[in-house]
Amino acid sequence: MPFHSKVRDQLKVILPGLFLVLTCNPLLSAERITKGLLALYDFSGTDEVTIRDRSGVAPAMDLKIENPKAVSRADGVLNIQGKTRMRSLKPATKVLNAVRQSGEITVEAWIHPENTTQSGPARILSISKNISERNFTLGQDGNKLDARLRTTRTSKNGLPSTASKSGSLKAALMHVIYTRSRSGNASIHINGKQVAKATIAGTPSNWDGSFYLSLANEASGNRPWKGSYHLVALYGRSLSGDEIQANFKAGAGAKSEELLARMRVADQARHFHREVAPLLVKHCLECHDTATSKGKLDLSHKAPAMAGGKEGKVIIPGQGSQSLLWQIVADNEMPEDREPLSDREKASLKKWIDDGAHWPVEMIDPLAYKSGPNANNRFVRRLTVPEYIETVRGILDVDIAEQARELLPADLRADGFSNTAYNLGVDLKHIEAYSRLASIAVQKMDVGKFAARFSSNRSLTQKPMRAHIAKLGEWVLRGPLEEHEINTFRGISTAVAANGGNFDQAMAYILEAMLQSPRFIYLMEQQNEGSTPLPASNYELASRISYMIWGAPPDGQLMQAAGKNELTDPAGAEKQVRRMLKDPRARKRSEHFAYEWLHLERLKHINPDKKRFPDWNNQLAEDMMAETIAFFNDITWQQKRPLTDLFNAQFTYATPQLAKHYRFTEVPGKQPGTSRKNDKLIRYDLSQIPSRGGLLTHGSILTIGGENASMVTRGLFILHDLLRGTIKDPPPGTDTTPVDSRPGQSQRGIAEMRINDKACGGCHKKFEPLAFGLERYDGLGSFRKHDRYKNLLREDGELTLPGNAKRIAYQSSAELMDILAGNERVAENITWKLTQFALGRPLGGPDIPVVKAIHALALENGGNYPETMIAITLSDLVRIKPAANTFPGGK
Amino acid sequence: MNHRKITRRTVLRGLGGFTVGLPLLEEMVTTRAHGAGRKQPVPVRAFNLFFGLGIPAPLQNEGFKGVLEPLEPLSDKLLIMRNVDQVRCDHSGLNAHFDGASGAFTATAPNGSAKSGGASIDQLVRRAHHPEGLPGNQLTTLVAGTFFRRSRISRYIHSYNPDGTIAASMQEKPRDVFDRVFGKIILDGNGKDEKQNRLKRSVLDAVVDQYRHYTGANSPLGQTSKSRLKDHLDRIRELEQRAFALENQTGEGAHIPPLPPRSKLKHEGQADPGGQGIEMKLEELTEEWRLMADLYAMAIRTDRVRFGSLTFLAAGERIRMTGDYHYQGRKIFTFDDAGQLNASGDKGCSHEWWHKFSEKGENKALRAHAHMKMNEVAYFLKALDDENSLEINGKTILENSLITISTESGDGRHNNVKRELSGVFHAISGAGGRFKTGEIMDIGAEGIDVYNTMLTAMGSKERLGPTQRERTKIDRIRA
Repeated sequence: MPFHSKVRDQLKVILPGLFLVLTCNPLLSAERITKGLLALYDFSGTDEVTIRDRSGVAPAMDLKIENPKAVSRADGVLNIQGKTRMRSLKPATKVLNAVRQSGEITVEAWIHPENTTQSGPARILSISKNISERNFTLGQDGNKLDARLRTTRTSKNGLPSTASKSGSLKAALMHVIYTRSRSGNASIHINGKQVAKATIAGTPSNWDGSFYLSLANEASGNRPWKGSYHLVALYGRSLSGDEIQANFKAGAGAKSEELLARMRVADQARHFHREVAPLLVKHCLECHDTATSKGKLDLSHKAPAMAGGKEGKVIIPGQGSQSLLWQIVADNEMPEDREPLSDREKASLKKWIDDGAHWPVEMIDPLAYKSGPNANNRFVRRLTVPEYIETVRGILDVDIAEQARELLPADLRADGFSNTAYNLGVDLKHIEAYSRLASIAVQKMDVGKFAARFSSNRSLTQKPMRAHIAKLGEWVLRGPLEEHEINTFRGISTAVAANGGNFDQAMAYILEAMLQSPRFIYLMEQQNEGSTPLPASNYELASRISYMIWGAPPDGQLMQAAGKNELTDPAGAEKQVRRMLKDPRARKRSEHFAYEWLHLERLKHINPDKKRFPDWNNQLAEDMMAETIAFFNDITWQQKRPLTDLFNAQFTYATPQLAKHYRFTEVPGKQPGTSRKNDKLIRYDLSQIPSRGGLLTHGSILTIGGENASMVTRGLFILHDLLRGTIKDPPPGTDTTPVDSRPGQSQRGIAEMRINDKACGGCHKKFEPLAFGLERYDGLGSFRKHDRYKNLLREDGELTLPGNAKRIAYQSSAELMDILAGNERVAENITWKLTQFALGRPLGGPDIPVVKAIHALALENGGNYPETMIAITLSDLVRIKPAANTFPGGK
Repeated sequence: MNHRKITRRTVLRGLGGFTVGLPLLEEMVTTRAHGAGRKQPVPVRAFNLFFGLGIPAPLQNEGFKGVLEPLEPLSDKLLIMRNVDQVRCDHSGLNAHFDGASGAFTATAPNGSAKSGGASIDQLVRRAHHPEGLPGNQLTTLVAGTFFRRSRISRYIHSYNPDGTIAASMQEKPRDVFDRVFGKIILDGNGKDEKQNRLKRSVLDAVVDQYRHYTGANSPLGQTSKSRLKDHLDRIRELEQRAFALENQTGEGAHIPPLPPRSKLKHEGQADPGGQGIEMKLEELTEEWRLMADLYAMAIRTDRVRFGSLTFLAAGERIRMTGDYHYQGRKIFTFDDAGQLNASGDKGCSHEWWHKFSEKGENKALRAHAHMKMNEVAYFLKALDDENSLEINGKTILENSLITISTESGDGRHNNVKRELSGVFHAISGAGGRFKTGEIMDIGAEGIDVYNTMLTAMGSKERLGPTQRERTKIDRIRA
């Protein structure tokens, strides 16, 4: 089974409620397609003046029947017997937003025309102002259909129109669909068969936002249509042939109850992610998580939460006011000694229980609910310094790395990575640097030769120059240019001409401007501000994928695939991703991930007390960094092993100096291996060295605890960065001053005192035991069995992992490494971190189901880096643009 | 100490010969002269002044007899507020170094490791008085500081947009501030060739056009992203102003201020080796800070800056300080943190004194550190209160501006959230007669209510914190 098909199946298993909404496969059933649905009228109900929009996509766009006497309704059919009009109560804004963003539209209707003589065209459906100004109209013109779409290349009247063949429309119940893709392919289908096709060029960016949706007449009332409506639907995307067939097979009487039921589940999931889980994290889990479970109540997992605690069941689905959980928070009895829930939070909790206490995740991950569900995914992302350098290199084949690193301010880490979009702001230094770097880059290149790649015409006159700008701009700015952009860049060439300049000079200045364009400096997209998820476009996918896999712009092949609309097809995207993973840039990008995830930058600034560590020098820090990167590369690329092997693989790399630091001089099985500078980095087999093996035994990681080898810091690193755990504040009454070892008491002994302390132990037991197995490594990663006070150091311990109260004992550091390597939470966390780095934003609760699906799929295929990246790039987190104020994977 | 105070006079005297320079003589004229010629009102200004580690609440109660002594000469121009509660800024899982610092001037808990929970005071005042942005020759916001702890941004940055992102990038060395405020942009090709200048301008026009599109009504972006690009556009306009509009005003008579010497202290990654702390001599610290404070004050006096924040040492700062500390000719203390703590690494840093604070103890070292900090805070405030800072209304910039001084914690023991984030030191200047001065006031209220009362007095309709919260006015701080 192709990988992309597995993605769908995996998601279907994990996201049953959401699957229909987002990834429905029309071939599996005759269910109606709902992906991209904007408005749905099934004409059920008997209301005399209102036709309800039953899409469930907010805001509802209900229609008012302006002359109720001219219509009759029965059994989901609206008969138009006289002159009337059904008009939306407000302009069709949600259609406008979606179509403008996607560049696509589908209008579907099950109708029964009264005759085959009415014309005008008689308006079956219209988003328009009058007979000559419209965004879209589907009409009947005798025995054929006529569709008019306004774009930047058609008239305000939507002409030229697309018309079906004569005789294709009959006075019978008919299924009619007009659909148009972003690339301009328009078609009309009647009863599942294509009866017209045309190219309607341009974009709908010029749609007028003031137009209303009307049925059975023009907005101005002078193009009436007669017949009956059985169903009308509007989509913000084009439908494929299979999807059109599916809707046709679903029939005119396809009721929307099942659809609505599924949408209700999606709504409840959204409510849980947006409101309920965050309030449980904020107010309840401090005392009622798995590890603490006061009153034997664990509200962090679905099953125990529903089972209740010492007092019995606390959540009775459907009965908020009868549920103990709501009662005690409503009375401010809980949380104890903490700020009570706000009225809004209380209401939200009650609504959730009243609606059935839908709990869409197995476990509430506190870290994922730190920010609001959409807090971090609305920022357009600026290129980081390395991405900028690679982009200039990829687009212009010019290396400006040295100058860029000197001129551009460094990007700061936020939420663990330096590519976090919300933190990638700009200062004056950036602007100055972009300007100077643009100039430097252009000076370094042969502009004439570069321009000739796009056209051999070297004329500065209007027509050829515009065409040249369009082609060159599509490459430099990673997608086709809009007319206004061509106009802007054309302005530069005219300025050059007016000043007596030549073609090469014009192109040089145009390139300078393009290199400072927001489309070059940012990962610019048509953001989805509507209320329904939208698919990312082909060019958007090209950039998303290339920066995720390479940290660089799309190459020619990827751009070509985007131009042929191959990337919106998962199979096409997968083919490209697999190709790209063979490129050296993919390896470089993965190294960058490891560097940031493990915060290896830190090694550049280590400056331990010279008296205690006289042998330390900066080269040793560099060697430690090189060890970790070489080890990561070996696991990731040379052996393509599961990423969890990073924690217990029995080999490493070391320079002679580092080998001496690790006391590797007597290591058997020394193998010549990857060379670094001067062939100094040697691969070592560690199968006979129980004290080493895996990332946590690398000096690069062990130095995280500082020169005093802090168990607190090391434990917190493992908890936060490997297990994605959280920990609360130190409890009242605790002296938090770090305590040094002394004769008779090592750091382990001090840690155990903290753990046994009533005030500290509740938290410290969650993370310090994670570092017990590392006590034999000093602050700089040297292995010893006694500390400087001659205390015997231990390596055994017992730990608990986040979300699981079970205690796990280990006897040695090697066993600890095996536990971590075999732990599902650790494995999933690597996927989580990779996904976060790929997206350039922190993940939130609503992302959890998709990340789990990505992880499961990657594991199924070996759990290595390439397969994980493939699963990420084919997931909805990449392919779908979530609606504003909702969550990825939901409506 | 080698530091020579930068005054307007020394700036105007100039040294010349630098590749970056002050482009505009007019801008070096103090606001008094500026205002006198044009009858302009005294500008509204708001700055946040942060110092690290805080002053334990019991020490604040000693008034000017204790660690607050250096503020006494300015006491008639400040309202010192004790017993301000920032407990709502507590973020489970983090200690008050970060929580408290993030809450200073925002009154909200942090949102992630690099975002605040909302806007800071200075930014809401700016939005109220300049909703369409500031003139092109003024910086929207200046964020600067002398600090060395860097693990989380909120430890040292104290100006935030309403979405919690930083209002401007940090300038952490005196030369950075100099370049940011007074530096003239030199674009490649932006020389004396007029034709080339015209074409460069044409390029910049094209760039501006594109940013206008992405911030305008037909932008494909949502509001959050538009705001991000609006910032970008503002910076381009500033670059235009520096590179082109001012180019004709750099002729004879436009003196160049002295380029600050290179920083002798460690910065960026070197300044914070994994939280282990760095060695530092008191003299080196104060020399750099005072240069920073002078430049920031100069930026205000020349009306290049009206809003922003200045940081003297980060939250949870880790320094192993050495050197004798004198105040007004008397020796206060000999700093030797590592020696006196008998420890190296992070455990030998001055912030351990805060962990060791005891209400019954002498707290000698902590007192000396806190006293020194107040002395340096006072240094900056005095730079806005001298004869060069007199404005058209006869008051000084300090008196006419809103300068909010705060810190991260009211206690340093990390052992009681309520105590740690209660009694957080605050002081404000009079803001042109809007607030009482000359008092030490026990507030007994939440910081959020104090801040929102300040915002009301400053003419802002926006408020900090959750919209549904019932607000309490602290009108007794108002004049």
